[in-house]
Amino acid sequence: MDVTSTVLLVFLGVPALVFGVLVFTLNSMARVTFALLASLVCVGGVVTVLGLPYLGMVIVLMMVMEMVIMAVFMIAYMMNPAGLMPMSMLHNKRGALVISSVVFAALVAGIFVVPWPGHAGALPRDTTFQAGMALMGPQMLTMVTLGFVLLATMVGATVLATRRGRYDRFGDDLDQRPARDPAGGGVGR
Amino acid sequence: MSLRAAAARPRVLLTVLPGGTAARLAAERQLRLRDWPLAASPAQADLLLVAGPDCPGLRAPLERLWQDLPTPAARVSAPGADAVQAALDSGRAQLGSREGQLDRIRASAGAHRHGGRPAKGEEGPGGVHDGHGPHGHGGMEMPGGLSMAGVGEDRDGLTLDQLHLPLGPFLADWPSGLTVHLVLQGDVIQQANLADPIAPGGEGAAPFWAQPWIQADAGEPVTAGEAARRRSAAHLDSLSRLLSVAGWPAQTVVARRLRDDLLAGAPGPAMAPRLERFTRRVGRSRTLAWATRGIGELSTQGGKQAGVSGPAARAGGDVTDRYRQWLADIRRDLGRLDQPARLQAAEAEESPRGRWRAQHPPSAALVTVLPALLTGAELAAARLIVASLDPDMDELLPTRREVRAPHD
Amino acid sequence: MTESGAWWTLLAAPAMLFCLAALAVAANSVLDARDAGRSAGPAAAMRPFLALPRALLTQPRRLPAPDVLLWRAGIAIVPVAAVLSTLVIPFGNVAVADLSVGVLWFNAMEVLTWAGLWLAGWGPNAAFSLVGGYRFLALGLAYELPLMFALISAATGAQSLRVGDIAAAQQGLWYAVWMPVAFVVYLAGVLAFGFLGPFAYPTGRDLAGGVLSDASGVEWLLLQAGRWLWLAAGAAMAVPLFLGGGAGPLLPAWAWSLIKTLAVLAVLVVAVRRLPLVRADRYVELAWVVLIPLTIAQTLVPALVDLAR
Repeated sequence: MDVTSTVLLVFLGVPALVFGVLVFTLNSMARVTFALLASLVCVGGVVTVLGLPYLGMVIVLMMVMEMVIMAVFMIAYMMNPAGLMPMSMLHNKRGALVISSVVFAALVAGIFVVPWPGHAGALPRDTTFQAGMALMGPQMLTMVTLGFVLLATMVGATVLATRRGRYDRFGDDLDQRPARDPAGGGVGR
Repeated sequence: MSLRAAAARPRVLLTVLPGGTAARLAAERQLRLRDWPLAASPAQADLLLVAGPDCPGLRAPLERLWQDLPTPAARVSAPGADAVQAALDSGRAQLGSREGQLDRIRASAGAHRHGGRPAKGEEGPGGVHDGHGPHGHGGMEMPGGLSMAGVGEDRDGLTLDQLHLPLGPFLADWPSGLTVHLVLQGDVIQQANLADPIAPGGEGAAPFWAQPWIQADAGEPVTAGEAARRRSAAHLDSLSRLLSVAGWPAQTVVARRLRDDLLAGAPGPAMAPRLERFTRRVGRSRTLAWATRGIGELSTQGGKQAGVSGPAARAGGDVTDRYRQWLADIRRDLGRLDQPARLQAAEAEESPRGRWRAQHPPSAALVTVLPALLTGAELAAARLIVASLDPDMDELLPTRREVRAPHD
Repeated sequence: MTESGAWWTLLAAPAMLFCLAALAVAANSVLDARDAGRSAGPAAAMRPFLALPRALLTQPRRLPAPDVLLWRAGIAIVPVAAVLSTLVIPFGNVAVADLSVGVLWFNAMEVLTWAGLWLAGWGPNAAFSLVGGYRFLALGLAYELPLMFALISAATGAQSLRVGDIAAAQQGLWYAVWMPVAFVVYLAGVLAFGFLGPFAYPTGRDLAGGVLSDASGVEWLLLQAGRWLWLAAGAAMAVPLFLGGGAGPLLPAWAWSLIKTLAVLAVLVVAVRRLPLVRADRYVELAWVVLIPLTIAQTLVPALVDLAR
């Protein structure tokens, strides 16, 4: 590993940790969410420097969208209005401490215990292709199944959470067009 | 030097007081020709232009609006249309003057020491913080001294925070003098309450848009062409606000320019093709129709029951139908802009917002249907609904009704 | 074909982006002047830049209990992300850094605007500003997926995420020609992440300016600059993705890049003025019911073509 990469790793890794600590010490919902986002963006950078730019960029891309949407929900559903009041981000302190210590210890042990494979051959020009083949080659069935399970979960959760069903929208005989909605959509179904 | 450079193209917050329609029109025309942009909020403005006769009831909210302008800022007022030019020139001079700005900084520093400025997220009186529902958090320190929101059931059966947000009386592209107090959950309106219209201090002038009809009522000679011109200009004015709120700035400017030319007496044959082109472009825009469809449904029947008599009743439908009715009315009046015949009894020729009756001005009916239409709408839809009805609050001023003899 | 540039391109790329954005602003101002009945000369083109000294001079103003840190961060993110996105856009045959995942980089920078605008709406602690920030998220949920599929179409066609490869793969036939849906959806996406014209919903005048309603001075300037910088960056990116990059007869590659970028920018400025605003509640349904299936089908086309090769 050359000097530039090492410097970059430090410059990304340290902020990632600092922002990670801030997630638990800040007292505003919005700030906590965006501290977490900043931490994850740094992690994306770390992954990129480690030679997997595709995964690194995808982490940045997905985490920004995810965290912004999460901020909306966290703030909407906080019991004190809009998450505006200063609040502590720590709950169940003792249990959380035990669990996080055990997980941390296990992960650190993993670093030393796992027999990491040695460096074999030159780095490929484009690791994206390699990552794709590794995931989609032998594991195609797993990935396809996972994809559908995730999608089905999202659709199912939304359907369960929605109070209004198709009978509310289309009437008892499902023949009312356009649908009766509180706010009409753009296609006019 | 640098202050002068910053004042080269001031952004103007145009604030209209009741009875200030003529001054507003003159100001909008001047600003368009000078290319001084119209600001949408105090934060973006350097020049506060108050159009219309002084109104004691609105002095306090005006003062807060003024405090909300970032320095450098200047404040000028134009009680009538003829004062606009001078007011704008003096505003720019004040913006460029070092002494004037230093005074303002000293004054605002003083205000800060005495508790700072009020919270404001909008240009209405009363900021975000006033009237936040039940205050059940005695003793706890609130961020910024703001109180907590109350909660209530929303339309999906969830218990959500309620935000009390007044719209008006000073809001860009909003009927001057109208104030609606909203209770919002998210951006859905749970409740809409109208505030009483605020009367101007002195003797109210005749409402600008209904002037020809009032004069005809009083027996003065008014030509049909003059009335048609005023009516088309009024519709263009309403359209310009609707287009602005709906988000089509390019056509907003076109509508204002056509309105100004009509009022300035440009000959009918020259105006006709330009009006034709404008009504065609706006009327045929599918995107605009798509964005406004299904909002603020007001059937002909329901409108008539509430006493609505103008284009809003004839259109009998949603926002799309109503702006298309305005466009159709403009097209219908194209050939009559220069008609020399005398305006018949007010019954025969409709004033811009409906049949003119001094006791029951057409805008009064438009205002009464507002709360029902607004409840359940989303904030964006609410602005479209108000703009598509565009009540002229000047018609409602009590001074007017006393001055005019009852006709019917 | 496309190579990474020398160190000075790191300065040249943002400078060119600023020039393109300024050109778009000037063109828009001239068209404004024409519509408003003022003289539409060079003076009219310079008028919007008078806002610069004004914005730098304006005193900052604060509402009670703002989150100044998040507010400033959000406002800065928008123009900064726009500038960063240009790193991977080749001009002629030179890009600042022709990353192997260039398309993804552009996409990630564009998505940063989500965070930026939401924070810009959240920061000042004012109702209209906050509603404006939320509006951009609603719009984002609608425009982002079709836009991603449009980008994926181009990447699938070239079998590479490297922007240079995508431009080079269009020898003979532009992607805009045989992937028209992706091209149009991409252009709509540019207007959307620039929150301009039909997608100016977060700054709607019905909200007294939305996310802009409480921004004054430099804050206002940065957000306004951000939207036009994004428009210029989007136009520049359309050239390698869909219009064959710098390829063309007679003229050198950089000239073709410039001509094509200006053409796309002109189309976008006209669209900004011609189209009225589309509210997110309408656009979300259109995007999910019509545009996503359409763009997925569009992605299938280059995939099948690649398989048949």
